[in-house]
Amino acid sequence: MKRALRMSYLVAGVAGLGFFAMSVLLLAVWPGRVLEEQVRRMSPGHPLGLTASESRGRRIYAREGCAYCHTQQIRYVASDAARFGAATLAWETIFDYPHLWGTRRIGPDLSREASARSSDWHLSHLYSPRSLVQGSVMPAFVWLFDGAPDRPKQEGLDLLAYLETLGRDRALAAPEGEGRARAACDCSDDERLFAFGSAVLNASPALARRQGDHPKLAPSGDSKKGRQVYSRDCASCHGLRGEGDGPGAVGLHPRPANLSEHEYTLDRLSFALWNGAAGTGMPAWRDLPAADLAAVAELVRGFRAPQPEPAIPQAVLAVGAKVYAARCAQCHGEKGAGDGYAVNQFAVAPTNFRTQRPSLATSLRAVRDGIEGTPMAPWSSELSEAELSAVAYYVRGFFDSQ
Amino acid sequence: MTEIAPAALKVETRLVYAHGLAAIITLLISVAFGVMASIEMLVPEAGGNLPWLTWGRLRYDHTQGIMLGWLGNAFFAFLYHAVPLLTGRSVTSARLGQWIFGLWNFAVVAPGWVLVLAGFSQPLEWAEFPLVIDAFVVVALVLVIVQFLPPFFSRGLEDLYVSSWYIIGGLVFTLLAYPMGNFVPELVPGARGAAFSGLWIHDAIGLFVTPLALAILYFVIPAATRRPIFSHFLSMLGFWLLFFLYPLNGTHHYIFSVIPMSAQMGAIAASTLLGLDVILVVANLLLSLRGAGLFPRDIGLRFVATGTVFYLIVSIQGSVQAQMAINRQIHFSDWVIGHSHLAMLGFATFSAAGGLIHAWQRIPWVRYSGPMLSLSYWLLLAGVVIMVSDLTVAGLVEGRLWQSAAPWMDSVRAARPYWVIRTITFVPIAAGFLALLAGLVTGERGGGLQAVRDSVGLEPVAEIAPRFVAADL
Repeated sequence: MKRALRMSYLVAGVAGLGFFAMSVLLLAVWPGRVLEEQVRRMSPGHPLGLTASESRGRRIYAREGCAYCHTQQIRYVASDAARFGAATLAWETIFDYPHLWGTRRIGPDLSREASARSSDWHLSHLYSPRSLVQGSVMPAFVWLFDGAPDRPKQEGLDLLAYLETLGRDRALAAPEGEGRARAACDCSDDERLFAFGSAVLNASPALARRQGDHPKLAPSGDSKKGRQVYSRDCASCHGLRGEGDGPGAVGLHPRPANLSEHEYTLDRLSFALWNGAAGTGMPAWRDLPAADLAAVAELVRGFRAPQPEPAIPQAVLAVGAKVYAARCAQCHGEKGAGDGYAVNQFAVAPTNFRTQRPSLATSLRAVRDGIEGTPMAPWSSELSEAELSAVAYYVRGFFDSQ
Repeated sequence: MTEIAPAALKVETRLVYAHGLAAIITLLISVAFGVMASIEMLVPEAGGNLPWLTWGRLRYDHTQGIMLGWLGNAFFAFLYHAVPLLTGRSVTSARLGQWIFGLWNFAVVAPGWVLVLAGFSQPLEWAEFPLVIDAFVVVALVLVIVQFLPPFFSRGLEDLYVSSWYIIGGLVFTLLAYPMGNFVPELVPGARGAAFSGLWIHDAIGLFVTPLALAILYFVIPAATRRPIFSHFLSMLGFWLLFFLYPLNGTHHYIFSVIPMSAQMGAIAASTLLGLDVILVVANLLLSLRGAGLFPRDIGLRFVATGTVFYLIVSIQGSVQAQMAINRQIHFSDWVIGHSHLAMLGFATFSAAGGLIHAWQRIPWVRYSGPMLSLSYWLLLAGVVIMVSDLTVAGLVEGRLWQSAAPWMDSVRAARPYWVIRTITFVPIAAGFLALLAGLVTGERGGGLQAVRDSVGLEPVAEIAPRFVAADL
């Protein structure tokens, strides 16, 4: 009897250890093998891995607890795929020792953050999140900077470099990589839909793009709505009166547009709100309802104080036309539509003067001093004072308010 | 039936006392980390933009402090009381006890906190202390096993009471699971590492916190009510089902992830069965409590009884939120934060506090204030109920917005009022813990013994031990 009892405890002990071992085998070791096999079949040939700077940035991301508010895991569900993009594949995290998947979202998922926003936006946001995003609860990581958002320390640059790796390999491998992974995927219809089903890998509503459709916003009379949305989402950079002097403006290069110094067509504003301004800190706002965007556009059009428009002598305009054709048309286009042959050389699109007219002062300043943070060079050393002002007058004539 | 001679017992009351005080001090510090983190979600600049007061680092220290500092110390205090009574043998060595105390508090918890604040940590849930600290944890866990398990084996394993099973199981499996959660993801990358992490996220609760908390529940209820547990058969059935099912739950933290769907499904099935098993366990405990009232006069028993109810609620909630249709909606949201507070602040904390108070009552030379402990109970009960309800609703609101096309920031703005309420619940909770401390360091020396005599009219220790013998197993 005693012996049988002792045996039963032995059996119980072995069974207990067996349960634990079984859980590890069934839920970690075996899935690990499946995942390893998936990685082998579905990964692109040469995923990039992380540079030394990106690895350091990853350690900062880990140290500051970023993963406790931002997941790096787009789930295989419709709401995740719609909000963030293609669901995360196993191979996308193979360089993560340890993984940074996260189990809580206070901020959005960051799996597709690479190229979603500009570097100066990220730095400004890391330095002072509420200067750019009203109501954000993100900590301000000022110790990664040397006292200003555009003076990051090496740690700030490292973290930025790491953020730019999130989703990078998958984006670089597309479209061949997507095709290969899709063909190799031993997955259910649902999984295939969420991993490969969407037209874009990155569904971020803030992702700025140079080209793209945008809704035709109708003129809006809802000025209350316009002010509300503008002061919530736009004033942080563009300033309450649209003068480009919001608290978020200091770290952005180029500076946010001074909206009071430009006349915009409704279509121009619709495009900018829907697609952002690629290469600048201006994100897209595709997650806002069209009615909100229309109300904001209306408000923005009202920022411009009407100014007297002096008549420009024909001779001056002729000089302007000549200078423009020689110096400006290759970028801004023959007819000022921002479609010169050199357009695609630049990260920031040249101004389309047909849909946007700068004030005379702004036009003069731009041609004389250039626009910091863009390829627009200062021309004061190349052109005479008369030529500078002539071309500044001339480009304002392209505007077509329709 | 083995007779136990209480007179021959040596209970290391000084170690109960030391771990008890360390538990409450680390608890208060952990609560301070928590409330600071919650304030920073309302006023992000509240930490003065200092790196060591940043949200992420406070968040790491909050949970590690609760698990290792508060619950670890409270469990050890309880074990110093319970193991001699359960086995009729003394623990291995008082000197070893001093080493464990020193290691746990001064080589694990305190330096762990400091290192995390200084920027040395590990971004893994329930494993945030850096690797060097993990090494000390493993050493300490080995010493804990050396300290507490030999009495069980030297006594012989016949008639092992269910609390003893939970203690043996909890300590052994924690030692096995801890390295898996803390070391393996450093060696196995990405999704594969996450599969191991998922196991540990659950095992930290399922193999460390829950077994030791249940050991307390199964110990205190018969000891305080002076009646054997309702059914030893149900106790053992519950025990084996728990140890079978708990480790299989882990992957439910990563439902709809790239981890193979069959592993997810298995974890969901195990989570469902676990809820059913907990109904069995809690039914047994509540039936053992029958006649004691909903809020027993014995304050230790009152904490334990409420801990039992929280255990039922949090486990059923766990089963529910592992279901795909629910998980799709509430995963990543404050609902889960509510769930973890119901588990750690509700179930585990009430059980640990009940066990600590129960042990305290039986040390003749410590101070004890019944009214303070009663005040602590009501404050904590109010705090937990309000906080968990608040976060649960917040989670539903966030989940609904995430399902819609609303901008992300809408969910942050919508959560704010709930976060305000959550921060306000700091007041009753912190006051409750201060009252708990006051209850254990103010009042009459030996007041606990008097309280037990008053509530049941019997001498405490002599009456208790034989009741544990598994007569009807």
